[in-house]
Amino acid sequence: MKAGLTRRTFLQATTASAVAAAANLRCRPRPAFFSESEFETLGALCDRIIPPDGDPGALELGAPVYIERLLTAFDQDVPFLFAGGPFSGRHPFPDYRTGTPSRVFPTDQFRWPAPPSPIQERFWRAEIFGSVESGLPPHLDAQAGGPRRGLRDVYREGLAAVDAAALAQGGRRFVELDEMERDDLLAQLAGPDGLPVDPVRDRSFLDLVIQHTLEGCFSAPEYGGNRAGEGWRMIGLEGDSQPLGYSLFSEPDAEYRERPDHPMSTPNPDEVAPDGSLAPRPLTPEGDQVQVTISFFAQIVERFVPGACT
Amino acid sequence: MSGGWGWRGGNGLGSGPAEVFGNARLSRFDFCIIGSGAGGASAAHVLCAAGHSVLVLEAGHNPFPGIDRRGPLRSTLHGNDELKYGMRSYLDPQGLLDPRTYRQLDDAEAAVHPDVNALPKAVGGAWQHADCKTPRFAVADFELRSRIEALIGATPGLAVPGFGSDAGSANFADWPISYSELEPFYVEAERLYGVQGAEDNPFQSWRSEPYPMPPGVPMYLGRLLAEGAEQTEFFGEPLHPHAFPASITSRFYEGRPPCVDCGFCAGFGCPNNAKGSPAVTTLRSALLSGRCQLRANAAAVELVNDGGHVSAVRYADGDGAIQEVAADAFLLAASAIESARLCWLSATPDGDALGNGSGQVGRNLMFHHQTLVNGFVPQRIHGQRGRAVSHGISDFRGFEPGGEAIRVFTEGGAKRVRLGGIIEFGGSQGLPIEQDGMVMAFSLPRGTVPRFGLGFKNALRDGALTQHLLALIMQGEDAPQLGNRVDLDPSVRDVHGVPVPRVTYRPHNYEIGARRFYVPYMKQILANAGADRIFTAPCETLLGDPPTSRHVMGTLRMGSDPATSVVGPDGRFHDVDNLYACDGSVFPTSGGWNPTLTIFANALRVAHGLAG
Repeated sequence: MKAGLTRRTFLQATTASAVAAAANLRCRPRPAFFSESEFETLGALCDRIIPPDGDPGALELGAPVYIERLLTAFDQDVPFLFAGGPFSGRHPFPDYRTGTPSRVFPTDQFRWPAPPSPIQERFWRAEIFGSVESGLPPHLDAQAGGPRRGLRDVYREGLAAVDAAALAQGGRRFVELDEMERDDLLAQLAGPDGLPVDPVRDRSFLDLVIQHTLEGCFSAPEYGGNRAGEGWRMIGLEGDSQPLGYSLFSEPDAEYRERPDHPMSTPNPDEVAPDGSLAPRPLTPEGDQVQVTISFFAQIVERFVPGACT
Repeated sequence: MSGGWGWRGGNGLGSGPAEVFGNARLSRFDFCIIGSGAGGASAAHVLCAAGHSVLVLEAGHNPFPGIDRRGPLRSTLHGNDELKYGMRSYLDPQGLLDPRTYRQLDDAEAAVHPDVNALPKAVGGAWQHADCKTPRFAVADFELRSRIEALIGATPGLAVPGFGSDAGSANFADWPISYSELEPFYVEAERLYGVQGAEDNPFQSWRSEPYPMPPGVPMYLGRLLAEGAEQTEFFGEPLHPHAFPASITSRFYEGRPPCVDCGFCAGFGCPNNAKGSPAVTTLRSALLSGRCQLRANAAAVELVNDGGHVSAVRYADGDGAIQEVAADAFLLAASAIESARLCWLSATPDGDALGNGSGQVGRNLMFHHQTLVNGFVPQRIHGQRGRAVSHGISDFRGFEPGGEAIRVFTEGGAKRVRLGGIIEFGGSQGLPIEQDGMVMAFSLPRGTVPRFGLGFKNALRDGALTQHLLALIMQGEDAPQLGNRVDLDPSVRDVHGVPVPRVTYRPHNYEIGARRFYVPYMKQILANAGADRIFTAPCETLLGDPPTSRHVMGTLRMGSDPATSVVGPDGRFHDVDNLYACDGSVFPTSGGWNPTLTIFANALRVAHGLAG
């Protein structure tokens, strides 16, 4: 059975919405934190971390918008740190009479934040505005190795540092460099003589942008990135699936039915050959390298700490 | 920016510092339970049903608004949301405000560590983030010490780390109750929390009642590993894969729908309440009784006592203000580390920890020794569909079928016992941020794999980790040791200014030996399942880090002898006439099984004893 979507059909299905999304980039929702030029630099940076090819890059997916939403989470009455629940409205309820999807969709409750607890709110205020600025008890900072700088300041200064590095090299801002020059500068900033590592977070500015770019590409779209779920589709994931899920219970015969397009107990249909044998899609050299590295890493650890990995 | 303690003023959240659920008018309490998780909610259910008035204090927030309202169960704030749980810790405590310290040896200085086995802090406790695996302990687990000592006496040449001539290196003890005494409460727990399972595990001990529900749909990765296990020979026999019991619905069950296998299971809250979280089962029934009041964002900081009696509990509310509330009796159910911490925070008039006449408070801290053996398969195993784990094997617990006798292996003429634990058949869960991106960008040595650019994107699209990893996880029994313990850190304080738990822990040869023995068989299972690039994940405790099992036991040992245990068989502190413990802290040994069903069952047993 070949009912599953291949990467190619994903692409065809999403091209139209991707174009629309790119057109929308300019109308970013208020309240904004970044200046136009900071936002441009940030977008260019994210877009070299996950660059566009046949699939959208981080800019098109909305990673910079995601980051700005994080930094302005407290601009709302209930800060948007945790999406609400239980459902996003992207998937219907199951029909228990037949064990098939119903036509009834829940509303998108991810859009309304789940209120943070008092403790969570204190942590996130410290994270975004800084521990000193948010009035965190000083002993917590001392125990954590120093005051926590607010992400708003880290981003403002980090983006300026990236542009300063670009200007120092060729008299042009980061966004004025071509792709290859941007990649070279990024490699330099990631290197030992690049951006300094903040010991409290154990992250450099670039590290933070990498983390937040990942979050912005693959978190639920309600957080501001992963435009229309294209980040998930690009990597062959379905994202959230409730309330439908994958196992549909049929009450009349008290049995579960699986979804042919997304089976639970059998291989993905797009990796099964017509004769029923497995036909796995080969990994790219980089994916292969990740697996080899992890497997090999365990052997290295074993050499230094005998028994740790046996 | 507002600062200091006034930080919360006028932000419009509306919930205020004290979030009260259930009967807000109650002001006199027969019982106050500290912790609303597995142990506390089970006890609250029994005590309220018996007509007692109960106050439950919960340090965390409430992701289940409306659980105290009659009618159909309302929806939760949980969702299929990797960012919310994995990256932003919606349920887990934040280490900056709620730190713990760790060291391996007594003479070392403990350091703040970002994760000393931190369990979620929220209404309903840690069970809501678990994938709710519910094996029972077996008959032999309750009498491990006497059975192994008897075996050593009867078997020339048999040596077991922590037993016989090596007994001083560990602190094993029999439970003061038997499997037969606990069995009716296992039945009650399986019914209350809604357990699915099949009677296909030959190593399980006898059951007086069938599972309330049959197993749900098997996962593809579970089927692959089950086939691999069936082809693996272990002392002349193939291994015995079985359905993994779990308190997850596979039918409509007491107002909750069947699980849809959405995949956001281990580490996530359940959006449709298919998981039997205490919040939507026992705690809810207590709240609906009209005799229960739940206060969320209420972190207990001291039991007011005269050494032999507790009169009140002090807690920090959401604003950090200290409140005090009285009750006739108190039950500790804050999980092993926090319950022991509270005893240390509640000094007696002579300056000792509360209930510490035996000197055992905080000692015998156990985690399961988790051994992870992994391998990669070429096809995508789509672990994002399922309940995280649908199959396992119990052969490596090291018991005979039926779980009544300890197995004696003959290896090259020598007699050995090998006590490991149940194995979960797991793998990639399809979480792109944590399991692919963050690992590539931050966990692997710099320069080995791309951290950005097209190569990074390629590996993400491959799902190199999130789609191709098969994993076996053994919940190896962890030996109780006097030196493995919880006390208070001398200098580190939490956000309320209260001393934090200091954990001292190092593994014992008992579990290391079992790990080394079973790893080659685990590798064989993976190879037989078609995996390649097989490796054992670094053991965190051997690298000097705390265990990350999320199974925390011991610290307030249950036993009949006041000289060697903290609480009696009825759960009451030997030294304190109205203080009880009913969480994992009372476990004398850790078994080789996921512990929560046993926490449920023992808490039900203790509460029935109290309810009269």
